[in-house]
Amino acid sequence: MRLLVLLWSLGPLLWQLRTSLLRPEALVAPLLDGNPWTLANYQLVLSGDPPFWRYLANSTLVGLVTTVLTLLLAVPCAYGLHKERGPVRWGVGLALVAAAMFPTVLLFLALLEIARSFGLANNLLSLSLPYTALSLPLAVLLLRAAFADLPPELEDAARLEGLNLGQRLKHVLLPLLGPALASTAILVFLASWNEYAIALTWISRNDLLTLPIAIARIGGGSVFTIPYGAFAAATVLGSLPLLLLVLLAQRSIVSGLTRGAVKG
Amino acid sequence: MSPNAGAGLELRQLCRQVGDRRLLDRLDLHVAPGECVALLGPSGCGKSTTLRLVAGLDPASGGQVLLDGEDLSERGPGERQVAMVFQSYALYPHLSVAGNLELGLKVRGMAPRERQRRIDATLELLQLGELRQRRPAQLSGGQRQRVALARALLRDPRIVLLDEPMSNLDAQLREELRPELRRLLCGREQPVIYVTHDQQEAVGMADRIALLEAGRLQQVGSPRELYTNPANRFVASFLGRPAINLLAIEPGRQLGLRPEHLELGDNGAVAARLLRREWWGHQQLLWLDSPWGTLRVLTAPEAPTPPEPRLSWQRQHELWFDPQSGARLAP
Repeated sequence: MRLLVLLWSLGPLLWQLRTSLLRPEALVAPLLDGNPWTLANYQLVLSGDPPFWRYLANSTLVGLVTTVLTLLLAVPCAYGLHKERGPVRWGVGLALVAAAMFPTVLLFLALLEIARSFGLANNLLSLSLPYTALSLPLAVLLLRAAFADLPPELEDAARLEGLNLGQRLKHVLLPLLGPALASTAILVFLASWNEYAIALTWISRNDLLTLPIAIARIGGGSVFTIPYGAFAAATVLGSLPLLLLVLLAQRSIVSGLTRGAVKG
Repeated sequence: MSPNAGAGLELRQLCRQVGDRRLLDRLDLHVAPGECVALLGPSGCGKSTTLRLVAGLDPASGGQVLLDGEDLSERGPGERQVAMVFQSYALYPHLSVAGNLELGLKVRGMAPRERQRRIDATLELLQLGELRQRRPAQLSGGQRQRVALARALLRDPRIVLLDEPMSNLDAQLREELRPELRRLLCGREQPVIYVTHDQQEAVGMADRIALLEAGRLQQVGSPRELYTNPANRFVASFLGRPAINLLAIEPGRQLGLRPEHLELGDNGAVAARLLRREWWGHQQLLWLDSPWGTLRVLTAPEAPTPPEPRLSWQRQHELWFDPQSGARLAP
């Protein structure tokens, strides 16, 4: 039963892995002769110009900057909203939900205009700006909920011991929010990693492309062939850093949850 | 003026209002140095509110908090040298016992050696030495409570506040810990305020009891004063278990009689009928049906019950109240 559930979730990934390792002819019909398995797809992807790792690095850079920027802005905002009572809390909360649900597609022409007039195009760091803006509402909402889950006496106790706001955040609140921070960071990083429309319009230089755009640009032998194998190989390569990230963060999430709360 | 005038903690006309709700209404209370005053009352009566105002965790809507004659009202909670033990203990779950104690000292910039010395001394005092590396989740309820107490006493506070510190412990442990808590807290030079909803705990811990209801102070005094000479019906019925009998004997007056003051005999003023008997070992509680309703009577555990019991009492035990306002009336 457990195996079945596992297969249900991992099936598409395994299929992708299989596709990436098959010769193109073997994808459509069983081969009558020879070995169907090949690493040619990976060779094709990795031998491109600029090399594939360059796109990985681009996406990683954008993702990291976006994540750090988002958390730096979201933590104070979430704390403020959590402490706030009355109409401000209500109004800002509503605005955040509205912003989180706003269809991004409607924004990107305006964003393109902004990029043009401020000279932000073809710059990986500037790509983090719209990403941060788009991730912020959800991050604030998630972190506000996490703040609300902390027992309020913990902060009271810290205030009585003379900890100022910065010290309370550093020594008490943020360590306890570790798991929430980790999961929020992963969500933000993922959103940046997968983003397509803005990256497509803001970046045109070949060596600055992010992963989704680069994968989409992989061409086949002719205009009539679709390089499924190469797509699959690029996707597998592109998933590896995420896998690593989640595995690393998972430890902090689990250890955070087993720490034990106030009453235990 | 004597040199001691104004010593201790003094609350003057302390108020707290949130929106339309008046959580605390003009509270006047004085706690002498070394004295332990219990704030007692049902939940929502304003006792925790009072504690938070003294600690500076919530702003007062009016009134003053004075310590040794010095107004604390403008000071933040970190500048009042107030220690507080919370009902949930509020230990930092990510820090060890020693870490919990150390954090407050560290942010005050105390040298590491001095910190260690103080922590060691306090852990010794509370017999927590072996637990210093444990996390709060690995401690029992009683141990957590002691760690919270250690954290409170560590900084030589000028005021000690306890917010229902025992209500998360089981009844037996509570009784065991009470003398220990008294030994640690009382008799030092700080004023102590102890919030509880449990009158046994209040009597066991405090020198004086301040009884609150609906944000208003009802009466302050020793347990004996409150019990024998209650200011109103609320005080009379809140203190004492089994609760006082309230009888509508005459129009315009209500008679309060404690269960231990009613006597059963062959000749008394009122006839009654035995409904039920609760045997407690050191006493027995009789439930009696009478023309004034159901009455509670405490007697000696082996006292015989007459076949046709009649009730009597002594005039000196009568407590008279206004049936509407509950105010105490002269006999």
